Formats: sequence, C-alpha cells, structure tokens
Amino acid sequence: MDRVKIFKLILWIVTGLGLSAAIARFAFGLGVTTNLSDTTPWGFWIGFDVVSGVALAAGGFVITATVYIMRKEEFHPIVKPAVLTAFLGYIAVIVGLLFDLGLPWNIWHPVVQWQHHSALFEVAWCVMLYTTVLALEFSPVPLEETSRYAKIRSFLMRYRLVFVILGIMLSTLHQSSLGSLFLIMPFKLHPLWYTPILPIMFFISAIALGLMMVTFESLFTSWLYRRKAETPLLAKLGKAAVWVIAIYALVRFIDLGARGALGYIFAGSFESIMFIVEASMVIIIPLILLSIPRTRHSLKGLWAASLLVVLGIVFNRINVAGLMMTSATGSHYVPSLSEILISASVVSAAVLAFLFAVEHFKVWERKPIDPEAKVEKLPEFDRASNTWLGRPEVAARIKYSLAFVLAVAVGLMFWPFDRLESRGIQDTPVVKARGGEKLIINGNRNFDLVLFKHKMHEDTLGGKESCVKCHHMNIPGDKESGCWQCHADMNKYTDAFRHDWHASPSGGNLGCVKCHEPDQPKMALTASECNECHKDLIPPGAAIKVEDYTAPGYVDAMHGSCVECHKEKAAALDKPKLPQCTTCHDQEVSDSINQAIAAKHEGRKSPWVTMPEIEEN
Amino acid sequence: MQPLMDFVAGPLFRLTFAIMLLGLLRIVVLTVWGVIQARRQTDDKVMPWKLITENTLGWLVPVLRLWKTRPIYSVVSFVFHIGLILVPIFLIGHIQLIRESIGIGWPVLSDNLADILTIVTMVTAVALFLGRLFSKEARFISRPQDYVWPVLLAIPFATGYVCNNMAIGAGVYQWTMLFHMLSAELIFVFIPFTKIAHCVLVPFSQMVSTLGWKFPPRSGEGVAETLGKKEMPV
Repeated sequence: MDRVKIFKLILWIVTGLGLSAAIARFAFGLGVTTNLSDTTPWGFWIGFDVVSGVALAAGGFVITATVYIMRKEEFHPIVKPAVLTAFLGYIAVIVGLLFDLGLPWNIWHPVVQWQHHSALFEVAWCVMLYTTVLALEFSPVPLEETSRYAKIRSFLMRYRLVFVILGIMLSTLHQSSLGSLFLIMPFKLHPLWYTPILPIMFFISAIALGLMMVTFESLFTSWLYRRKAETPLLAKLGKAAVWVIAIYALVRFIDLGARGALGYIFAGSFESIMFIVEASMVIIIPLILLSIPRTRHSLKGLWAASLLVVLGIVFNRINVAGLMMTSATGSHYVPSLSEILISASVVSAAVLAFLFAVEHFKVWERKPIDPEAKVEKLPEFDRASNTWLGRPEVAARIKYSLAFVLAVAVGLMFWPFDRLESRGIQDTPVVKARGGEKLIINGNRNFDLVLFKHKMHEDTLGGKESCVKCHHMNIPGDKESGCWQCHADMNKYTDAFRHDWHASPSGGNLGCVKCHEPDQPKMALTASECNECHKDLIPPGAAIKVEDYTAPGYVDAMHGSCVECHKEKAAALDKPKLPQCTTCHDQEVSDSINQAIAAKHEGRKSPWVTMPEIEEN
Repeated sequence: MQPLMDFVAGPLFRLTFAIMLLGLLRIVVLTVWGVIQARRQTDDKVMPWKLITENTLGWLVPVLRLWKTRPIYSVVSFVFHIGLILVPIFLIGHIQLIRESIGIGWPVLSDNLADILTIVTMVTAVALFLGRLFSKEARFISRPQDYVWPVLLAIPFATGYVCNNMAIGAGVYQWTMLFHMLSAELIFVFIPFTKIAHCVLVPFSQMVSTLGWKFPPRSGEGVAETLGKKEMPV
C-alpha cells in the first residue's frame, strides 16, 4: 500500500474510535465521559477544537489577503488549499463545539437571541458568517468539475473580491474576540497569560499560525502525495512569518514587562515551565530557524519551524482556555480518553475531507495520481475473503470501510455502558442503629445523628401491636428486622433479595424451578413471589406496602417512613412542628451524645493493640 | 463465573452486535455503490425494473418457484427461516433484556409458539444439513461455510430451549446460558462477511444479476483472461 492509503486507513480507524466515543458522550452526557467539572468547564474541547481550530484556520484569510489585496500573485498556487483548510477547519470547529455544548440542539440560539454585550455572541455570528463566506470562496473549485454550473461559478468568481474583504473583516473581528472571551477572568487566568490586550495577542499569533499552518499543510501533502515541495514559495512565507513572530514577541514581552509579570517566568512553578516551553516553541526556535536564509530554504528547517509554531500556538490556546486557570481554581484537569479521541476523530474526518477534495477537484494545478492505478495492473486478491477486490479505488474502499466498522465496534466495547448512572455515587454501607429504648441512628457515622425514641414510639402508637407500622418486612423467622438489613446503603438502591445466595450450597441450594416456572424464561417476571415460601416475610397490617424487593437507600427510607407518618400525626394532633427537620435532627442532642461517646472512649486502651508510649515535650 | 457472564453479556455483546449492524450497513453501501458504478459503465441503460421487482418478491417465497422441481427443499428452507427470524427478535426473554437496558420494547411471541418455532427451526436446520450432505449435486457446489451455518445457527436455539424449558441446576443453567450467548455472538460476527449477508442483500441480488447481462457479450472471458484464470470455474 502506498503511504497515502496507509495514512487514510489510520484516519478512518481514528474516526471510527472517535465515533464510538461520541455515541457514549451523547448517550450518557458530559459528566461521565469527560473530566470536565464545574471548576474546569472549559477543557480540551474548547482549547483545542474551538479556540485553536479557529486559529489554525487563519491561513485562509492571511493568504487571500496576500494574493487578492496585496496583489502578490506568486502565492496564487497556495490560495485554494489555504481556503479549503480554513473551510474544513471552521466546519470542524462547529462540529467540535457540538460535543462541548451541554444542550447541543440549542446551538442556533445566537441567531435569534441577541445578546450584544457578549463576546461569545460576536464570535458565534462571525463564525457563522465566515463559514458561509468560505463556502462561497471555495465552491468555484468543485463547481469547475462540470459545465452545468458555469453560470453560478462565473457569478462567484466575479464577486470573489467581496468575499475576500468580508473574510478578512470577519476574521479580524472574531480571531481577536476569542481572546476577549478570557478578559472577564483576570483572577482566574495566570498573569503570564492574562493581559488586557489578549485580543491583540490572539490576532497577531493567529496571523503567524496561519502562515505556518499553510506551510505545514503544503509540506505534509507534498510528502504524502510524493509531489515536489513548493520550497521557494514557502521560504517567502517563512520570511513574512519572521516579522509577524517578531512583532508578537515584542508585544508579548513588553506587555509582560509593563504589567510587572516578567518575574513569574523564573518563578520555577508549573506555569513558568509551561511559559518557557511555549515561548521557545512559538518564538525563540522558529525565529532562529526562519531568520537564517539557509535553514529557511531547506526542507528540514521549514518542517521544524512550521511544526513548532503550529504546536506552540495550539499549546498557547489550550493554556489560555483553561490549563493555566487550574492553579487559581485549585482544580486538577487532564482530558479524558474520550475527549482526546473525539477531538482526534474530528480532525481526522476533516483531513479525510481535505484529501478527498484534493483528489477529486482541482485544488492544485494537477490532481494527484494514484501510483497503483495503472491500467495493466491486476485487481487485488484478498486471501482473507478469497475474493478479487477489484480496481485499486474499490479495494481501498473495501479496506477503509472495514477498518472503520471494526474501529467503531471495538470502541463501543470499551466504553463502560453498564451502571453508568450510579457512577460518582460512592458506596456507603449503613451502620446499624445502636441503643435500646432510645436508638442512635447514624448510618454513615458522620456525627450528625438522630436520637430515635423507640420505646416512646412503641408506647404512643399502641404497644406490641404497633410494631408492623414500621417493621413492614422482616427476615424469615424474625419479627423485627432492623432497617439496615435491607436498606443497606446510605444513598443507593440495594437488592433485598439475594439471588445467588439462594442458589448457593450455603444458602437454600435451590434449583431454578423452585422459584421460576419450569417452561418459562428465567426472569423476575416469571418468578414466584418471595412470600409464597416465606409466609412471615411481610407481616399482616404492615403500613408500608412492598412493591418489589429493591430497597431504597437508607436516607430515603428513613425520611419516607418517618416524615410521612409525622405529617399525618401533625394534622391529626394539631402539632405543626412534628414534620419539620429539627424535630429529629436536633443539633444539641446530636452534639451532646457525640461528646458523651467521646468521653466514654477517652483514656480507654484496647486490650488487643499495644500503642507505643509517646513522650510529650 | 459471574464476571465472565457479565463480560460476555456486556462488552463482548456490544462488540459483536456492532460488528453485525455496521458490517451489514457497510455491505449494503458497498453493494449499492458498486451497482451504481457498474450501471454507469454499461452501454444499455434500460433496466427491466418490473421483472426485477417480480423476481425479488417471488423468490421471497421460494415454495412457489420450486414446487415442481424441489418441493421438499423449498418447504423446509422456507419453514426454517420463519423461526430463525421470529424467535430471536420476538422472544419474551430477549425483549425483557432490551427493555431493562434501553427502555424500549415491542410485542412478543407467546411462549408456547416460541417453543414450537424453536423446535421446528432446529429440526429443519438438521434436515438442511443432512440434505446437503447426502445430495451429490448439492455437495458438488458446497463450500465449507454451507455445512457449518445450519449447525451453528441451531446451537443458540438448542441451548436457549434447554435454558427455557428444562429443570436444570443453577450451575448447568449458567454454563448453558454462556454457551448460548457465545454461539450467538459468533454468529453476529460472521453474518456480514459470509452468505448470511443475504439478509440485507436480498433486495439487490436480482438487480446485480440483471446488471451482469448489460455488459457486452463475452466480456467475462476478457476478465478471466486478464486474471489469468482462463477456462477455470469461477
């Protein structure tokens, strides 16, 4: 296989894995599939997909401005790929944003709900309009393929300059406005990144990134399709980039000096290391590489410089969009696997679309030729399926689709689909209530206890006859099982019926047909009721009706039985305070009992554990 | 035992079921794509759509077409398909599992009818297998997968029937159920890549074979010559 096909195969696999992650994200929501939280609501998706994505697409307006406004015709060969990159980049930004929005179906709201104080409102409108403009700028290329749309194409070509000017205006507006988004968080964003001129920083760095992204994309596709690299042209872009990066460096460091933030660079903290890494990637190394004419005209020098600037400015955007807020908010954020995979798959899909356009339309002067597509070449034979795969394009289609399908399926295997709803709720086993006539109820032993006057309740409700009012279900052979025996977790539902125990030799050693109908499927529907065997399970006259054998959490169970009864009594006895929280949750009682317990344990030594004597100084 | 059951019923099921669904979708897309490309390359663009529709619908009930020549085979294979399709999709146990996991369900077969269909499917599967084995003509055109499929398809039916209807101990039940799920998952994986893909390709098969007639006469020989397979059975 040629390197194009291997590369495409990898892209299809990544897209497939990302699709499975996307299914999990939309099925279960952000909470369980990402590491985003209320303190770090903007993470990798906003930093990479949206803020970096817009900046990466800046090549479109930079190159069109160079060719059509500044009239530098020698750059004409790279206009179409640059516009295509920008167009696909903006589509990727919008798709990436859909994943990050909690309610993605509301993405159209800025169209009708105008909030002109919001920087995001401006960004939304600019992105919408500029995507449209880019579509109009690029559409002459695919329309070239047939003569059917010649009129539309000539119309678009005639007004091209209008689109170019609109594109530059809109880009200037929102490339900077993305920086304005972060102006409202001066105390959150680290001072090495926060500055009142953040919009200007974003704009200048977007121009540098645009130039270098076009360079990188040209170098990469030349390598991929074995074309001759456009080195002389790219060297000229590199020369321009030197100036832009120099201006960026100047503004950046003057700003740091004016705000007195230069000292943070050498503070040795996490942020200062990140700043040094970022500055060497964006400013120092590329400036050195690109200002030496020999490296600028060499393939390796261009590769290194463009890759460094592209990665460095993406890194800068990720830093601004959330990473450099973590120390101020005291939070910890590493993107989850599904965040990274979804971002990677959005990029992969965009790259696949780019390669498709390059192969099918005249984005370059000549379409690339598949070296395997020779007339005399035999169709490919696949040993696995024992079939002839047909022409190279058909064979490739079969392989790509198979790789994609398998990637989605394998991805779906790994996302934990079961019991996701209970993730994040920890197991909190219940400790049983202690005491005699008065019970201390404190299921999770957190010192907020309730003193339950068991004897008093028994007496006022009517003596021994009244047990069933609360003890609505008992363990077989028992008459007054404790609450904790079924309601075994503070918050979660637990199963009061122990299926495996009944089937085990230590339990009943029962066969399936003991409970399930012999000729019916084995499930809860076809099982006989517990009280068909255990006659004493539910006492006659129980106040609480058992609907099934899943017991609610301890907290819900206690509140349910106590508060409901207290409400009834409050109405009957005209005691309005009875159903209120403080009737049971009395802080004074709770504190005094806790102190009494602590006093009882003070100075007591365990006979089993010998503690070393500690000398007090 | 329980972790193994959970793995087979959870991740492994999702993997195999996704391979089946997406694989079938893929094979439909590739087929339609190929049909469109092939049609573009033919000179004769006239397609006998009425005939194609008649043949496609007619072969859905092969009894009508084969009654005179192969009555037993046509009836047995048709009856085999009824239970094969209906029982897995409309069994009350399966629907209950689907309802518990994603919250939707649909009408179910009565348990007695499901049992009858299961037995009928198993018997006809064995009959198809034996028919292929003892018929000289059928043996001549059979590939290995043709022998494996009837047997493999009968396994989940047999194990499911045992779990549903027989008074067995809990341990035996679990092993049988594990075998039931694993054999079904094996079937899921192989469906899109073997002849069972006809479950989605039925609407296109008549179209594809009609399209073959639209190419110039003797062009098949040219293909065979290019492949270096001249005068060899295709």
